[in-house]
Amino acid sequence: MKLTDDIAPRGNLAARFSEFRESIGRDHLLWVLFALGPVFALFCIIRVYPILETIRLSFYRYHPTQRSRPFIGLDNYRRLLEDEAFHTALINTLQFCVMATVITLLLAFAVAVLLRSIEKVAPIYELLLYIPVVTPWVPASVIWKWIFDPVHGVLNYALGSAGLPKLAWLQDEHVIIYAIVLVSVWKMLGYFVVVFGVGLRNIPDELLEAAELDGATPWQRLIYIVIPMMKPIILFTVIIATIIFFNVFAPVYVLTASAQGAPAYDFKVVIGEIYQNAFVFYRMGYAGAQSVVLLLFVLTLVFIQFTLFRDKAGR
Amino acid sequence: MFKDRPIVVTAYVVCTLMALLAVTPFFWVLMTALKPNPEINAWPPHILPEQPTLDHFIRILGEENFLRYIFNSLVIALSSMAAILFTSSLAGFIFAKYRFPGRGLLFAIILATAIIPLEVYIIPLYLMVFGVKMMDSYFALVFPFVIMTFGVFFMRQVIMAIPDELLEAARIDGANEFWIYVRVVLALSKSGLMALGVFAFSEAWANFIWPLVVVTTKDMYTTELGLATYQRQFFIEYGPISAGAVISIMPMLIVFALLRRHIMKGIATSGLRG
Repeated sequence: MKLTDDIAPRGNLAARFSEFRESIGRDHLLWVLFALGPVFALFCIIRVYPILETIRLSFYRYHPTQRSRPFIGLDNYRRLLEDEAFHTALINTLQFCVMATVITLLLAFAVAVLLRSIEKVAPIYELLLYIPVVTPWVPASVIWKWIFDPVHGVLNYALGSAGLPKLAWLQDEHVIIYAIVLVSVWKMLGYFVVVFGVGLRNIPDELLEAAELDGATPWQRLIYIVIPMMKPIILFTVIIATIIFFNVFAPVYVLTASAQGAPAYDFKVVIGEIYQNAFVFYRMGYAGAQSVVLLLFVLTLVFIQFTLFRDKAGR
Repeated sequence: MFKDRPIVVTAYVVCTLMALLAVTPFFWVLMTALKPNPEINAWPPHILPEQPTLDHFIRILGEENFLRYIFNSLVIALSSMAAILFTSSLAGFIFAKYRFPGRGLLFAIILATAIIPLEVYIIPLYLMVFGVKMMDSYFALVFPFVIMTFGVFFMRQVIMAIPDELLEAARIDGANEFWIYVRVVLALSKSGLMALGVFAFSEAWANFIWPLVVVTTKDMYTTELGLATYQRQFFIEYGPISAGAVISIMPMLIVFALLRRHIMKGIATSGLRG
């Protein structure tokens, strides 16, 4: 009797305990907490907090070594409205971004469509076009800087041989933007060719064949079948390309450094201004306000993408 | 897609031209790196070096500390890759295969940061590293690159394709969840891990603005930073600069050549950029 009395409550506890363990086992809540917790914490520390902190900084005067960091409301933004250098940077970046995006995507789309006509050898071409994509921006820009050299550069040599006027690619303030566009298109083209290629391969052949039987010319098939079916991918690439090109910095940093003793034109871009203000002059609050402008630009694009997608889905 | 004769011919002509334009600059920088100084500035330019030399490579690797920069870049890129593969696959596994309260919200918070570029929040990141007095260290250089939003999303897609029955079978055999993660999930998503690994490696290797901001001594330079700084200081020395560019491209080209199938597949399934 004594024995069972002793065992009974213990058995009860053990049963309850194993039931508890089982419930955890079923939902694996502890495991989820242990596995996801640290990773999610890292996301908060490295992404979420810095993004919010950037917005907070933009309302302060903030110098990392100075004790006083007063709240100054919208002063940084007011200053932004009067900052000529930032306006130039914004206009330059927008101009560059539009040119680079349009040229890259048009070329990439044309190449991707043409590659579908030579399907068997297309992977080789895609591979070759992808080599600049895996090349980091710094060496890519270094390579082109030598090609752009006003005196010894091979590009001016080619222009000269063709009877065209030589250009001061990196020294002339009206030309340097085209030099940076050229490098950027060259660098990113392959990526978008491959992305368009994926979309084009998903268009059912029967659709095009049926249109062909109905007597549609290649041009009509492109306009009325291929392009409408590619709309979501085109939209995706426009957003991605715009964000990539709006963040242009390394090629500008490399190409605007003096070449062969001839000072290059100091082409201002948004990231360059943020870098200067934050890490050369240590005006971190002000640079924060500039970063918020960049953030708003990116968010606007994402918003546009979402609304357009929803429109498509609603129809 | 279009099999008409003139279009096929146009395709060959245009695509060959584009491919040539894509690779010619690499050919040219390699030739420049191999030319002795007087030949570099020869006019008209020689296409091939008449007396090829490795002097510029010896100079840049020996005298200019580039070996150290390459070592730094490798340390950073490999640690970042390992960390991202671990954090992305673990979080991707949890989001793909478990139901728990707040799952949708947590995933949305992570995804919301995906499109925002590093440049937007680089100042607070810098202040954090500055605050813990870790400037100019490997920790600082790797820190922003131990997680990748896109990686979590990508691994979730990859792991969702693994049938639940496999996980259940392992559970019935008495495996715990960690064992399942290591032995079932990781083993079955090798191809996805490979694509993500290449992408993570190249992101960390190629990043320029972060090392520019947190590195203060030459010993901590990455290859990218070393090359950018060198070409600013010695702008006339096109031989060594070209050799430096060749050296800094090499690792990426080797990785790409070895794993091109995985990379192309990664782009095809998800728009992965590498």
